[in-house]
Amino acid sequence: MSIETLSAPPARSTRSLSSLFVLWRQTPLSFRIGLIILLIHFVLAATGPFWAPYGYSQMGTGRPLSGMSWAHPFGVDQLGRDIFSRVVYGAHIVILLSLSGTLLGLVVGAVLGLLSGYVGGWFDEILQRFLEALISIPFLVLALIAIAAAGPELSGNPVLIVLVVALVYAPRIARMARSVAVDIATRDYVTVARLRGESAWSVMRRELLPNATSVLLVEFALRAGYAPVLIGSLGFLGFGLRPPTPEWGLMISENRALIMVTPITVLGPGLMLASLVVGLNLFTEGLARILGRTVKLGVQ
Amino acid sequence: MAIFKLVIRRSLMSVVTLLLVSLIIFSMLEILPGDVASRILGRDATPETLAQLRTELGLDRPAPVRYLDWLGGLVTGDLGKSLASSRPVSEILAPRIFNTVLLSAYAFLIYLPLTLVPAILQALYRDRAADHAFSVVTLVLLSVPDFLLATILLLTFVIVLPLLPAISLVDQTSSAWEYFRAMTLPALTLAIVMAVYAVRMLRDNLIEVLDSDYIRMAELKGLSRRRVLLRHALPNALVPTLNVTALNLAYLVGGVVVVEKVFSYPGFGSLLVDSLQLRDLPVVEATVMIAAFVYVAANLIADVAAILLNPRLRTG
Repeated sequence: MSIETLSAPPARSTRSLSSLFVLWRQTPLSFRIGLIILLIHFVLAATGPFWAPYGYSQMGTGRPLSGMSWAHPFGVDQLGRDIFSRVVYGAHIVILLSLSGTLLGLVVGAVLGLLSGYVGGWFDEILQRFLEALISIPFLVLALIAIAAAGPELSGNPVLIVLVVALVYAPRIARMARSVAVDIATRDYVTVARLRGESAWSVMRRELLPNATSVLLVEFALRAGYAPVLIGSLGFLGFGLRPPTPEWGLMISENRALIMVTPITVLGPGLMLASLVVGLNLFTEGLARILGRTVKLGVQ
Repeated sequence: MAIFKLVIRRSLMSVVTLLLVSLIIFSMLEILPGDVASRILGRDATPETLAQLRTELGLDRPAPVRYLDWLGGLVTGDLGKSLASSRPVSEILAPRIFNTVLLSAYAFLIYLPLTLVPAILQALYRDRAADHAFSVVTLVLLSVPDFLLATILLLTFVIVLPLLPAISLVDQTSSAWEYFRAMTLPALTLAIVMAVYAVRMLRDNLIEVLDSDYIRMAELKGLSRRRVLLRHALPNALVPTLNVTALNLAYLVGGVVVVEKVFSYPGFGSLLVDSLQLRDLPVVEATVMIAAFVYVAANLIADVAAILLNPRLRTG
């Protein structure tokens, strides 16, 4: 194959469009379905607050507990709030908190894990034992005691939720990143960089991080897929965001008492939460397959 | 003897991990955010009551002394007294742990067939419509949070088909039948959540084993399909699944927190949530330590089993 045939530039816009389509057709089906579900959720989250029929805490929008109707697809709660509007408003809250918490956990975990795997020795040994201890506390329990430790002034604060998600994920991501670093640390190009006199930080950033990207990407997608459930569980147990925030887990817990009268007020937020996580999981599985990795969905 | 050394080393690591867990929990709950006494008393605190409570709880002593004191208590089985009810923590914990162990055992009983049957059927009919359909079902179930699954089961079996009680309150006076009815929905929820992970894993393992040479050999020998599957393939596919079962046990320790709360089942998980709400620190600390202990023990057993089952290590 000659270089000319590869670099010959035909009509550019149509080519990139059609090659994009070819690329799309080559991705696994799970990736495509996952991405479409995620796009719907993202569009909903970004635009929802502008077209939602009612405000998220607006009362008296209809007869309380009146069930499904065209005006109120997900029914009306005890206080006369439109559940559909609340669910739509909640989307950006759930997605923003999940992504920022996971991202923070990823950054902290990746830096700690890569450095620890590269530096080795005492630092590595102590850090590993410490992270192992954090992982040994079931993640929901760790999240609950972290919230209790933060004290009543901070409870319900979105920043606290982001920090808690990061605290739960960072040790698990660090363990993964460390195993990658240990694997790469003995390669020639890392040795060369070290002999050049590069600092551990610079080796991590320039040699280890680029080689860990695909692992970290899959790890990020996997953790992000569970973050909405973690945030929802905290809300459900009364340790997450405070009412009247339309967080889905909190809404499920609020409307659960009256599930006999209007099941849709629980199933509506549940459908949103589950479909977001289905989308994230499908996306993760497809992404892992594209990057040539295997991923165990759901194993936290 | 190498294998013996390996097991000892692995066990010592677990002890170190548990010590670190105790240090983390103690510092998170008692050192970090100011002062326990003011958090217990909340808004009603006056300087006098605060000082009195501090002396009562021994908070006037330095933190390292309190930590060692607490750790010594943990090791000797003295878990201290509840702040909310001033009963010994061990007395509060014992019936709760009994209930949760009973619930977990029931959940595991449901979990086994719920894992084996779909995984075997999927592996037998792999890449047919039924296999793909069931993979979609497990993926969706994997994405449904446990509190939502519990709520949907509640809606189905309590409201649509009124077979089971909505609230699973039991105590020492409850009969075995009442216990059985009360535990069915929480156990089913936990079993489904655990089975979903295991089914996906076992299906893939089974398919990998079914493609191997010794299975082809067994088939060529003329053994029946059933015999090949149950006697030759399944045992080999189960070993990696053991690891998932250990992970599932670890899930169970956290999962009971939510599921017991949904059904108001008086176990160890709902005790943790209730005592967190009451800011009853001695009970919280004891429950978290027990949760971490179960997790560490489950992982230790899985690792030791892997060491013992590994023939390369056995001869060494």
